[in-house]
Amino acid sequence: MSARKIERPSRRLFLRGLLGGAAVAVGLPIFEMMLNDHGEAFADGEAIPTRFGLWFFGNGVHLPSWTPPTVGPDWTVPEDFALSQLLPYREYVSVISGLSVKSPRHPHHSGMSAVCSGGPHLKIDDVRDTIVSTMKYPSVDQVAAQYFQSLAPNPYKSLEAAVTRFRGTDEGTSFQYLSHNGSTSGETNVNPSEESPHAFFDRLFNKGAGSPQVDRARASVLDAVSGQIKTLQGRLGAKDKQRLEQHLTSISEIESRLNVPIGECNKPSDPGAFPDLASNEQIAEKNKAMSDLMALALSCGLTRSFSILYSTCGSGAVFWMVGATDGQHYMNHTEPAPYTKQKDAVRFTMSQLAYFLDRLKNTPDATGNLLDHSSIFVCTEHTEGWTHSQDDLPMLLCGKGGGRLRGNYHYRQDGGNASRALMTALRGAGLPLTEFGHEEGYVKDPIVELEAT
Amino acid sequence: MRQRYALLLCSLVGLASCVGIIGDSGDERAAAAAFAPAEPTLHRLTRPQLQNAWLDLFGHPLAVPGDLPVDDVLYGFSSISASRSTIAPVDAEKYEKATYEVLDQVFADPARRDALVGCPVTAVGEPCVKDFIASFTTRAWRRPASEEEVASLQVLSADVATDLVDAAQGLKFALAAVLLSPHFLFRVEVGEPADAGYRYTSWEMASRLSFLLLDAPPDETLREAARRGELATAEGVRAQASRLLDDPRARVTLTRFFRDFMNIGKLDALDKQPEKFPQLSATLGPSMRVEMERMFENIVFEKEGDFRDMFTTRDTYVNEELARVYGIEGVTGPEWMPVTLPDDGQRAGILTTPGFLALNAHKTQTSPTHRGRFVRLNLFCQDIPPPPPGINTTLPEPEPDKPTTLRQRLDEHRTNAECAGCHERMDPIGFAFEKFDAIGAYREVDENGLPVDSSTEVDGHAVAGPIDMAELVASLPEVGACIARRFYEHAGAHLAGKGDKNSVEELVTDFVASDYRFKDLVLALVTNDGYRYASKPSQEEVKP
Repeated sequence: MSARKIERPSRRLFLRGLLGGAAVAVGLPIFEMMLNDHGEAFADGEAIPTRFGLWFFGNGVHLPSWTPPTVGPDWTVPEDFALSQLLPYREYVSVISGLSVKSPRHPHHSGMSAVCSGGPHLKIDDVRDTIVSTMKYPSVDQVAAQYFQSLAPNPYKSLEAAVTRFRGTDEGTSFQYLSHNGSTSGETNVNPSEESPHAFFDRLFNKGAGSPQVDRARASVLDAVSGQIKTLQGRLGAKDKQRLEQHLTSISEIESRLNVPIGECNKPSDPGAFPDLASNEQIAEKNKAMSDLMALALSCGLTRSFSILYSTCGSGAVFWMVGATDGQHYMNHTEPAPYTKQKDAVRFTMSQLAYFLDRLKNTPDATGNLLDHSSIFVCTEHTEGWTHSQDDLPMLLCGKGGGRLRGNYHYRQDGGNASRALMTALRGAGLPLTEFGHEEGYVKDPIVELEAT
Repeated sequence: MRQRYALLLCSLVGLASCVGIIGDSGDERAAAAAFAPAEPTLHRLTRPQLQNAWLDLFGHPLAVPGDLPVDDVLYGFSSISASRSTIAPVDAEKYEKATYEVLDQVFADPARRDALVGCPVTAVGEPCVKDFIASFTTRAWRRPASEEEVASLQVLSADVATDLVDAAQGLKFALAAVLLSPHFLFRVEVGEPADAGYRYTSWEMASRLSFLLLDAPPDETLREAARRGELATAEGVRAQASRLLDDPRARVTLTRFFRDFMNIGKLDALDKQPEKFPQLSATLGPSMRVEMERMFENIVFEKEGDFRDMFTTRDTYVNEELARVYGIEGVTGPEWMPVTLPDDGQRAGILTTPGFLALNAHKTQTSPTHRGRFVRLNLFCQDIPPPPPGINTTLPEPEPDKPTTLRQRLDEHRTNAECAGCHERMDPIGFAFEKFDAIGAYREVDENGLPVDSSTEVDGHAVAGPIDMAELVASLPEVGACIARRFYEHAGAHLAGKGDKNSVEELVTDFVASDYRFKDLVLALVTNDGYRYASKPSQEEVKP
């Protein structure tokens, strides 16, 4: 991508979105650094756009069969470890271990927000002790998305997909969604993940071509609605004003697609629905369908930032293929040591991640493949589900980040700040960050060992 | 028995203090005495509300789009989530797509379109078409559209008509701008300065009432009452609410509140292991939900009885698959039939329905913890903090040659000091229901063949089994107070905080005075100051 003229509104959006009216943990000067004196994008010589991804799986791992025994380059693990599934791709995969959640801890909630947003969770309505939370700060996929949009608009600012069906309903958006826009005053501001491969296909690839006149008419309607929202905002309190800002942003995103024709994407076939077979969720089949669609969407330039919610924080998905009969969360709290089913479930999950990485690796992208030009952060909200522990967090950084990431390295820092991994992943996608994170999650030191020299 | 328990607990005067509202300490109570209702907020229409709003505008036949944003739940209620959520990009896409699906159906048939408009749509500048835009917008936005608003829609329709060389299309896109408007997708409430602070306007009250009771926009009678300003008084509101309560849709809508209150929408995705429970079928979960909803309808709308009878009644409804779980013979087919459960000490009321028992259990095993937690949280309005991080929550595994009951293993939690504080409050309630397995079928022995003990002690009361537990729940003043508070929170779409304390206490007193008649609770709620008044919206910079 050559340096392009910055679109002022989207750059403002980036700043507003990232800072969110919040404690300014990421200072303005960094962003000014992205730009040269002419207000053009930071010229980094990048020829091919780097993609950023967040791939999340819930409920932690089984630590004794997770962490590679040695640190440094060329990590390896015994065959019964979960990460053995990724050994064929280890050139593209770095393992991060030892890092901790630094914000005040709370089962699931604090881990989810720390590993996805680099900040604490926000308890909604401090009236009852029961905790219902959302993310106080934007998840990293949105940080990357805002940055990419500030360089040059993509048809979709970001895309969100899910694999397993289970959603928590009692504890707020942290247990239902992955991609968050942050919350300034307890509003819930999420980017819901599409869980149906058929619906995802329909949304992205199955649109009839509108005539220019009809597109103009649709744009006029959206303009009118934006005008109505702005007028209405003047009569509302600060909280509702803020909620309507997101409505405005969402409408402008549709409008921008009407104005900028979407590039050529080869229409895939409809993956269809995946009904349960004998009451077993077809997880591998859904993962395959979603991975294929996401790889295609990235390949044909529909977006540069994505998230895949493989399973939710505190997920109750049933991993029947490893012999589980109860949801994973309950299984974690009841399965006795040595936690064989959890161990097998995580190993299965890594085989599903392996499919996605394989798909990216086998999708040509200019001079290389999609995995060459991606930085994908893989994380989970706990270390192990049965203790809700949030030290020694399991994390992976996948992809070569357009040459920015080294790959095939095991980095360990006992008790280090979890945000270091997020910052490194964002830098891997080209964000010129010198600091990142919020409140206790604020850091200034990326993991340079994982960056290409 | 009911009276015996009631005497032991809080006196009626102090009812609300049983409810556990923050601010119960002396200092905070004094500070909370001031009436400080919640700020007004935008309420995003829920899926049924949006679908009903389209039907109200266009009538049947209408293939109502179903691919709409999901109604999330916060603190138990989709209404609370609707007052907090934003419209994400993918949501805006869905709204746009659905809106054109609706409009295309109407505009595909010129006769239907012209009947809606009231004249042939030959030119958007026709007075008839202009008037239609104004009246349609007023109805869709549930308040009079201003001249400016109508004028800008007319400009839009004229521009599009010119560009597409089609007057009807010009009108269609103008209507799209009405239906994609925040004034349609949200219930916009701002309030106006009034005697005791900030009061919802008559038009706003019309929508508050109608969506609360019917999940639908105001009808012509309500709109007329709003036009005349009649809904600015409690008497005016009460009169309209009484009328709406007789609408058959009120039954559906208030049953939806009950569904959220008991969290039983989840039964539609009942997930139990088929190998363990041969009674399972794809429709068993929904049947469990329907049974509980019918119990609610029976007591609230048919008997118009004491709400607390929900916990003690032996009258219920079953179809064949549910009868199998109950062990009732002679019921065949999917039709529902009323039954009176035997007086054998096994079951009574909503807490011994298969739906409650199955929902608050795991895929194969029961969960005294979950059953007890539900009762504490949702029926007593008490809080249970989550386990502290870093604690191993795995239950001890029984030694292979010494099988133990789940109850015996849970005792571990209650001997461990770190766990006891909370489990002591949850598990004993759940033990009363241990004779019902993970789908709510009765059992005397557990999966290991060990006898199940359902005697327990709850807050100092000896409880012999499920019937005793049900009677205890029915007798506790906390429970009636909690139901009133939860309805208040659902209706206002926010949790009751300090500023709501007086309003909730008043509502509880009214509920008690009506002998716990739910319809009277509804009337007391809609005339309650906490529902009719708001605080002036704050313009202060929002801080995280």
